[in-house]
Amino acid sequence: MGPTMTNVNSVTPNMTTKTHAINLDNIKRDQGVRSLDQETIALQVKDLDLYYGEKQALQSINLDIPKNRVTAFIGPSGCGKSTLLRCFNRMNDLVDFCRIDGEILMDDSNIYDRSVEVADLRRRVGMVFQKPNPFPKSIYENVAYGLRIQGIKKKRLIDETVEWALRSAALWDEVKDRLHESALGMSGGQQQRLVIARTVAVKPEVLLLDEPASALDPISTLKIEELIHTLKKDFTIVIVTHNMQQAARVSDYTAFMYMGDLIEFGATDELFTTPQKKQTEDYITGRYG
Amino acid sequence: MKMSFSYWFKSGSPWVWLTGAAVAINVIMVAGLLILIASRGLVHFWPNDILQADYVAPNGSVQQVVGEVTDSEDVSAIQLREAGLEIAEGVEFVTRYLLKVGNRDVTGADFRWALEDKLTNKRYPEQLFASERREWGNFYGYLRSVKEAGTEVGSYQSGQDPESYETLWNDLQARIERAEGIYGQISDIEKGAIGSINYNIERLRLKQRAYELKGELTPEILADLNAEREINNREYEVLQEQLIELYGLFERDSITAETGEGVVVEMPISKIVHAYRPNAMSVFEKMGFYVIKLWEFMTEDPREANTEGGVFPAIFGTVMMVLLMSIMVTPFGVVAAVYLREYAKQGPLTRLIRIAVNNLAGVPSIVYGVFGLGFFIYFLGGNIDALFFPESAPAPTFGTPGLLWASLTLALLTVPVVIVATEEGLARIPRAVREGSLALGATKAETLWKVVLPMASPAMMTGVILAVARAAGEVAPLMLVGVVKLAPSLPLDGNYPFIHLDQKFMHLGFHIYDVGFQSPNVEAARPLVYATALLLVAVIALLNLSAVSIRNRLREKYKALEH
Repeated sequence: MGPTMTNVNSVTPNMTTKTHAINLDNIKRDQGVRSLDQETIALQVKDLDLYYGEKQALQSINLDIPKNRVTAFIGPSGCGKSTLLRCFNRMNDLVDFCRIDGEILMDDSNIYDRSVEVADLRRRVGMVFQKPNPFPKSIYENVAYGLRIQGIKKKRLIDETVEWALRSAALWDEVKDRLHESALGMSGGQQQRLVIARTVAVKPEVLLLDEPASALDPISTLKIEELIHTLKKDFTIVIVTHNMQQAARVSDYTAFMYMGDLIEFGATDELFTTPQKKQTEDYITGRYG
Repeated sequence: MKMSFSYWFKSGSPWVWLTGAAVAINVIMVAGLLILIASRGLVHFWPNDILQADYVAPNGSVQQVVGEVTDSEDVSAIQLREAGLEIAEGVEFVTRYLLKVGNRDVTGADFRWALEDKLTNKRYPEQLFASERREWGNFYGYLRSVKEAGTEVGSYQSGQDPESYETLWNDLQARIERAEGIYGQISDIEKGAIGSINYNIERLRLKQRAYELKGELTPEILADLNAEREINNREYEVLQEQLIELYGLFERDSITAETGEGVVVEMPISKIVHAYRPNAMSVFEKMGFYVIKLWEFMTEDPREANTEGGVFPAIFGTVMMVLLMSIMVTPFGVVAAVYLREYAKQGPLTRLIRIAVNNLAGVPSIVYGVFGLGFFIYFLGGNIDALFFPESAPAPTFGTPGLLWASLTLALLTVPVVIVATEEGLARIPRAVREGSLALGATKAETLWKVVLPMASPAMMTGVILAVARAAGEVAPLMLVGVVKLAPSLPLDGNYPFIHLDQKFMHLGFHIYDVGFQSPNVEAARPLVYATALLLVAVIALLNLSAVSIRNRLREKYKALEH
């Protein structure tokens, strides 16, 4: 609780209304957002095509993800937003018959290059999934997992990092007295924040959030959204959401996708108030999707 | 009426009844089986009262019969009349008793049948005693005298003061106890000290032979070996003298006893294991005796071609073989399952392998025995002998049936079960958890090792439980690859290297077969068959329960799957 409450209050009304119209006046936003061409670019997607077997799931996507900003992907189910997100840390490698053409540049090098170690890439590009997926270990061991994988053995360093990560995920105060209890005893919202802490602990550059709040109750959702606000300082965040209000609340930039195409990409305020494309307008005003 | 029947049929309750009945039949069968072997097996250790009666033989003469009633059955009178016996008119069935009369050394047979109505003047005299002997089975009769080194130290004649019989009896008990103590010392020396000296001498012989084969047997080495051998021989001689002395003490006492027919027999006390008078015992004394007998059954070595004494070596062999089998089968099965499920490309080939693995579980176990004999023992064992133990040739070391090969054969027999169970466990690990680990920068191997395998460990334990259940009850292949009727020593002892994987061993399952079908005294052995069967079931249940408790602990630890 504490300092986060002011923001929580300001968004609460939107959570309970069922309208599709987005009232941006109620949404508090950082003032530092510049136009896209002034941003530093963290990830650059170039002519990305993705096929599942014969079926093409993404069609020549071109997109720049700005550094230290929150970028949201919205669109109807099956539009390819999660697929695109999973390209950034090569999670699609796990899918049989998945083929990718094109490039994703991170620090000017293609992450699909042969010389790239997938494990290293995934350490730099962390990911949080739709459902909380803590390991059946203690809270402490969950957060320390990534560090131990990297071969860090110093107990003090691990202790410090675990505390820092849990504080970053606004979870420390709730769990500091039961760090060595099983993570499976936590509530869904706590588990999801634990997973965020676990991802943050390895200090990635980019944080991918795949509908992180869709399995959570409204209160937990708010906490996650708060967290996204705070984490933005240190990480580049890409979030997939089917909830447009959430996209409007948390993101600085929004990409609207439809049937494997990137329809429109721009600053969130502009995209929601003055969409350039008919499809975008139809979607955000609730005509389909 | 018809409507209501079809309604009843549609409501599904016939199925409920049918399924319920199937379960009930199963429960009844299992319970019936256990009750049968328990009741048949456990009564064997109860000290029955000893009956003495006058038996009118068909020729009219009257004999004395002394013995325990072990069984009774109704025989058709017609059948008896045809056999030439006189049976009163109007009687349809006559009860016939099976009496355990013992005294095989006197009468030649220790069981006899007797028609109930030919037994008259039935009585249970308190002075009658039964003695369990190291040879010739039980003896039933009256104690007449006790001798020490050939001279009588006490005696009792029929009709004297019963008090003096008690004194004589107590003297006998004290002497049996003394002899038992000496017997303990003797077997300690024979099995312990002399056993290890023999083992050392054999090792010295093999060492010498090894040097000879390598052509490195120098006079110095030979002198060393001989010196060592000399030390062992001297120790042996000392022990031998001790033994002679102990045997002298052990065989000092003897008794004379009179059988029911009035034959007086002399027997050394060293041959008596127990002497007891069930007719004079209270129920509590009998219970105490029962517990002692039961304990002996589980902790002592067998005697008299396995028909008497205990089954400890068989219990030990069974448990040890199963444990070794589990140690071998678990890593092997798990590794195979991990490859099949996690690394192999899923396609026609993996499907074929999976079908093959599943079918392997259906191969008759004797086939595995033949395979074990041909491949493990003759091929592998033979080559191991040729490579590592040339000094003991022509006697085989590993080229002969033994504990290692039996465990390995059973591991092979049960590996499909472990593979299938582990594969199912791996398939049940949520994709999300694997992805969570991969997304943190873990490689596939790290994910497997740190997250997936621990979470799949309860499933592996399920596989091990099934494997143990199958392996512990298996007898047929063991007869080819390592089990024997009587193993002179346990495969685990104090002689280096402590675990003797090349040794043959005893097994409860084979023990049942051997006692039941290969024993010279079938009647005497039958209760032991049931008792051993009960013990085998208990051992398997115990092994399984411990595996189940390990699994439950693992499940508690990794219960993420239940989400």
